[in-house]
Amino acid sequence: MRIFAVVLLLFVAQVAVAQSPPKSTDLPAGSQRVEVQAGGQPSSQDLTSLPLGKGLPVMVRTGLYFQSITAFDDNEGAFNGTVDMRLRWEDPRLRYPAETTPSGFQEYRGPKADQKLKEVWVPRVALANLKESPADQATSLRIFPNGWVELMQRTTGRFAIPIDSGSFPFDKQTLDVEVTVSRETTGEASLVVLQEDIDFSRPAQDLSIDGWTPGLVNIKKYTRPGWYGEFHSGLVVGLTVARDAGKVVVPVFIPLLAALLIPMLAIWMNHTEAGEFAIDTFELGNIIVGGLFAVIALNFTINAVYKSVSKGDNTVTRLFGLNYVALGLGLAIVVLLYRYNVPMRLFGRYVQEQVFSYLSWAVPVLAFGTALAFILVAAS
Amino acid sequence: MKFRRSAPLILITATAFVIVAASIISSLLFTRMISSVEEKQFSLMHSIVAFSLEGAEDRALARAALIADLPKARALFAARDRAGLLAEYSKMFTDQKEKYGVAQAQFHLPPATSFLRLQTPADFGDDLTKFRPIVVAVNRDQISRKGFAIARSGPAIFGVVPMFDPQEKPIGSFEVGIAFNDVLDSLKNSYNIETAVFIDETSLHEFATGIDPGVFSDQNRVGKFIRFHSTNAAVFQSLVSDKDLNATDNTQYTREALGVTYGIVLVPLRNGAGDVIGMMAATSDFSASRSSRKRAFVWQALIALFSIVLLAGVTLIVIRGTLLRPLEIITSRFAMLSTGDQSGEIPEPELLCDELKGLAQQYEELRGAGRKET
Repeated sequence: MRIFAVVLLLFVAQVAVAQSPPKSTDLPAGSQRVEVQAGGQPSSQDLTSLPLGKGLPVMVRTGLYFQSITAFDDNEGAFNGTVDMRLRWEDPRLRYPAETTPSGFQEYRGPKADQKLKEVWVPRVALANLKESPADQATSLRIFPNGWVELMQRTTGRFAIPIDSGSFPFDKQTLDVEVTVSRETTGEASLVVLQEDIDFSRPAQDLSIDGWTPGLVNIKKYTRPGWYGEFHSGLVVGLTVARDAGKVVVPVFIPLLAALLIPMLAIWMNHTEAGEFAIDTFELGNIIVGGLFAVIALNFTINAVYKSVSKGDNTVTRLFGLNYVALGLGLAIVVLLYRYNVPMRLFGRYVQEQVFSYLSWAVPVLAFGTALAFILVAAS
Repeated sequence: MKFRRSAPLILITATAFVIVAASIISSLLFTRMISSVEEKQFSLMHSIVAFSLEGAEDRALARAALIADLPKARALFAARDRAGLLAEYSKMFTDQKEKYGVAQAQFHLPPATSFLRLQTPADFGDDLTKFRPIVVAVNRDQISRKGFAIARSGPAIFGVVPMFDPQEKPIGSFEVGIAFNDVLDSLKNSYNIETAVFIDETSLHEFATGIDPGVFSDQNRVGKFIRFHSTNAAVFQSLVSDKDLNATDNTQYTREALGVTYGIVLVPLRNGAGDVIGMMAATSDFSASRSSRKRAFVWQALIALFSIVLLAGVTLIVIRGTLLRPLEIITSRFAMLSTGDQSGEIPEPELLCDELKGLAQQYEELRGAGRKET
């Protein structure tokens, strides 16, 4: 009986242990646990987790070097080029004795770099405006004895950029590369730019783009909204390029300004004899209609070649507008003045004479003055 | 005077003069509005710079006060236990330096003798009286102070507090120095304002004996100043000259660099004695307001051109079309009549103005009388 009672007690104790609540350290499936020691380091050396040793957010110093620009298509709003992105951050868990590396750092390239990137924490940074998969991408990783990590990534690809043609042909465009942290929030990792990164962020000395002059590199910070009211850090690194306006003057502006002469011709070709017009209205009307077709054809041609200026408010659309207004004014003069002699009917032939004389110089002055203003506004 | 030419000329000139004057006034008003916007931008930049510097001073002072009040710090310093202080606060200083931009932390003995530099523990015992007036003042008055100074480890923003032993007897002072780099980089990242700190080279040579000698390069030299740190060296090379740095008060100006117009503010950095030890420069892109100014001028000029041409047209058509040209015709008809030629007619007399209608009527009567006589 005693033996039975002991066995029963042991059995009850076993059941009680088996049904005891889970330990507080157990976590639901899928959750991640980071145990922080007094020194701020995780107890297990999971090097792929966020480095907490320097506090959060991890400051990721970012620079971008424009290695080459092989093509810039402002019509499509894209450029093809090769850029070197340099990310640097400090991960105290990766510190090691300096004497173990005579070169001053551990370096990994190619497949070794890819493998190492799987073993350590790396901010998931993407070039957000890459239009398609990069044509080529190479990675190099350096780890310094003091725990600084340098990730260098060379990417060749096609980047989408916004085009502002408001000041065409005196416009400057920015060949932007959007560097965005896609996984970590701003509280976990933040992209920063310090003097050394500014020095790194520049175009190659021999970089050239047909029809454009490369300028400075500008860097702007931004944040991208994420889930649950969080944000992701980002940078726009932009190479400013100025259009070589001289190359556009001949194919675009000379035809546009020459077309402006067509309605002037319709005005100038007539003359008065004793207060009455000498040239047949029909012939002058033909000039205007011919001019209208010429401007429409020019409009199609320029829009086909320079798609970026076909929409929106810019010098070219303004000059086309001016051409249509001038043609409309020319047509009104031909019909109302030359054909129906409206001023003469209302105020007499002497007034009509003066109106004609006035229009002969006033319309060209105003038309070309307006055209000049459009160009000066674009240039300012 | 030929009325046909001079009358329209006078009227058109007067019209043009009024329109051009109005346009110039309007342009000046617009320019003033743009200047006012730029002035506000300058003011904002001044405020941001001042706020950041004051914030750094306060942070330095708060940290210094925190350490100076710790019982262990007071006890160790009172016992002149240099090794104990170093053991106690070395890690704290390393963390502060790595994470929060604290560049210097130092215990001083009265009146201003270095007791322990946490950033360079081996350097101590030197007299700071000559170049650290704030430390002297704190030890003399037992009152906390903050400000800029050039220390042995370089220029920084300091907060200095007096220290007392457990019996509240003054025993010296403790300071925390925040690096300019940290403040400037924060400004750049928060406000996208480029900033630079220029420090007097002579003072740097004399006092900051522990800094990197590479700072004294020709590239960094601007007159008697050294560009100690900047967030964009290329921009500041073109924007700030040695003449600009000779200012002793807050200064602001605009200048073009690399095709962009920048607004620049210069804020003198004074040490505890009130001497200018350097300048802080901040710059922002003003090209948008400058471009607006040019565009507004072009549009105003175009409006003025339209106004002048249209009013000139009205003047010419009215004076010549309704008055001078009919008068010319009537005069020629009278001339014909005087020679006995009665064939000349005045066309469309009903469309003449009332004053000329009378004249035309007189001509027709004279012509009719002449015909009857013949």
